[in-house]
Amino acid sequence: MRGMRAFLVLTGYVLLLSIIVGMIYLVLSKNAPATIVNQAGIILTPVLIYVQMGLICLIAPTFSASAVSFEREQQTFDLLVVSLAKPSTILVGKVGAALSYLLLTLFGSVPLISLTYSMGGVSMGDIAIAYLIMVVQGVTYCSFSFLWSTLIRRSVVSQLVSILTVIVLVAAMPALALFFTALSASFTGAPSNTFVNVTFLLLRTNPFAAVASLIPGFPLPSSVWLRSVPIWVTQVVFYLSLMGLSLYLSLRRLRNTRNWL
Amino acid sequence: MIKIDNVTKKFGSFTAVNSVSLNIGKGEVFGFIGPNGAGKTTTIRMLATLSLPSEGSLSVGGFDIVKEPREVRRIIGYMPDSFGVYEDLLVWEYLDYFAALYHVDPSRRKRTINDVLELTDLTIKYGSQVMSLSRGMKQRLCLAKTLLHDPEVLLLDEPASGLDPHARIEIRELIRELCRMGKTILVSSHILTELADFCSSIGIIERGEMLAAGRIDEITASLAGNQVIEITVKGDPLAAIAVLEERTDIARATSDGRVVRAEYTGASEDVDVVLEYLVGRGVKLTAFTPASANLEDIFLKITRGAVA
Repeated sequence: MRGMRAFLVLTGYVLLLSIIVGMIYLVLSKNAPATIVNQAGIILTPVLIYVQMGLICLIAPTFSASAVSFEREQQTFDLLVVSLAKPSTILVGKVGAALSYLLLTLFGSVPLISLTYSMGGVSMGDIAIAYLIMVVQGVTYCSFSFLWSTLIRRSVVSQLVSILTVIVLVAAMPALALFFTALSASFTGAPSNTFVNVTFLLLRTNPFAAVASLIPGFPLPSSVWLRSVPIWVTQVVFYLSLMGLSLYLSLRRLRNTRNWL
Repeated sequence: MIKIDNVTKKFGSFTAVNSVSLNIGKGEVFGFIGPNGAGKTTTIRMLATLSLPSEGSLSVGGFDIVKEPREVRRIIGYMPDSFGVYEDLLVWEYLDYFAALYHVDPSRRKRTINDVLELTDLTIKYGSQVMSLSRGMKQRLCLAKTLLHDPEVLLLDEPASGLDPHARIEIRELIRELCRMGKTILVSSHILTELADFCSSIGIIERGEMLAAGRIDEITASLAGNQVIEITVKGDPLAAIAVLEERTDIARATSDGRVVRAEYTGASEDVDVVLEYLVGRGVKLTAFTPASANLEDIFLKITRGAVA
């Protein structure tokens, strides 16, 4: 990300967030009662965070999934491997480069969050947790996208597979859980406890659910497994495990380049 | 310095390199000759620690390429046959990046970059974008990158491929300069004339098999028969022939105008004795040229033999 491109992408990102937040505030101020408008932050902050999380789902794989495959395509990877750079250096350098820009875009939104925070309704602690979830989400997506880039020769395919992995993690698993819950309900009249528990366990892997659980009034049945553990904690732990596994496998792959180059 | 011992490389059922053995001494310039697909690149990639042999062993500077790849990488400079460059970098940034990868001390980095740019005649392109360089310049830039950590051994895979005649000459001059610097060089090419000028030894490979390897003069002597000396005389060529025929190491001498051709059977490093003898016997001459080995003849002879 050199030259104007980095600047333009960052500007476009902040502009998009500003437009979304501005439009929602405009609609609220025209239609909602004053009590809600006075606490607009409770709506605007989660919206802002959700939009950012959606963008992370696209940006992280796009930046990281071509790290090695693109080097192979442009025939520069051999020169990198033959140098004295250790596999861990290549890993840290490549994932770090993708991540640094992702973090830059994330922190580019801090002024906007400050604005929605000043509108009331959310605590500083909740915002900090939401940023932690987003950072872990970005690092994890960058990590497994990097793994795909070491496994797949063509960068376009690697990016596609990385985005598909994100979709499976973000949408397919909760969707599957809900599907089975609904299925069990159709047989028994109401979803069985086990299915509800499994549904909530799967939701505990979802960053969007983790942020939603921070909103007061999030429905969490009293009998559900791990009720005392906040959803965001299990989600962050799950993602960090996924990140650790991806980085470990990537490193192994980089250490064995002579078997696949 | 480079030792290849009975190396075989297979890709599935295809054998790219078959039981190749080779020894290249320190300071030697070894020309790896063979047609496209002969196994040159596969062998060089194994030496560059990019690929593992299926059988046999390879070592560079005494370090085994399988067990000690990092030590090997420290002493080699590898230039692949086809390579990419980071187009959006400036020339000095490109070299600075690789200097960092080769752990060149930051305090010495700028001077090192300037030195390799001067050697490769790219100083004027210091601040240019890599994408603006011609193919020949990119080739020289890659060579500059290869020299950043001052490697003892250079593995140059088809360094002049795809270049125009002018750029080819530039690369050839550059390799010659590196020879003078005492580097051990393994350079591959399928164009024989490219290597004839500066290689001290050669290896001819075809279909993955090493057909001949050794010093050029030894291979020439064993395959091409006697060495020919071309002598341009000032006076009577017949008198010069008579003097030459007095020697037992001259098999035959013929003249073509003022040029006398003598077939010399002695050791090539002793050819100066013939010159001294002629001068001592009062033969006036303006040129004395032991004919350089003709790689094309050797190559054709060896490969024809293999087919037969």
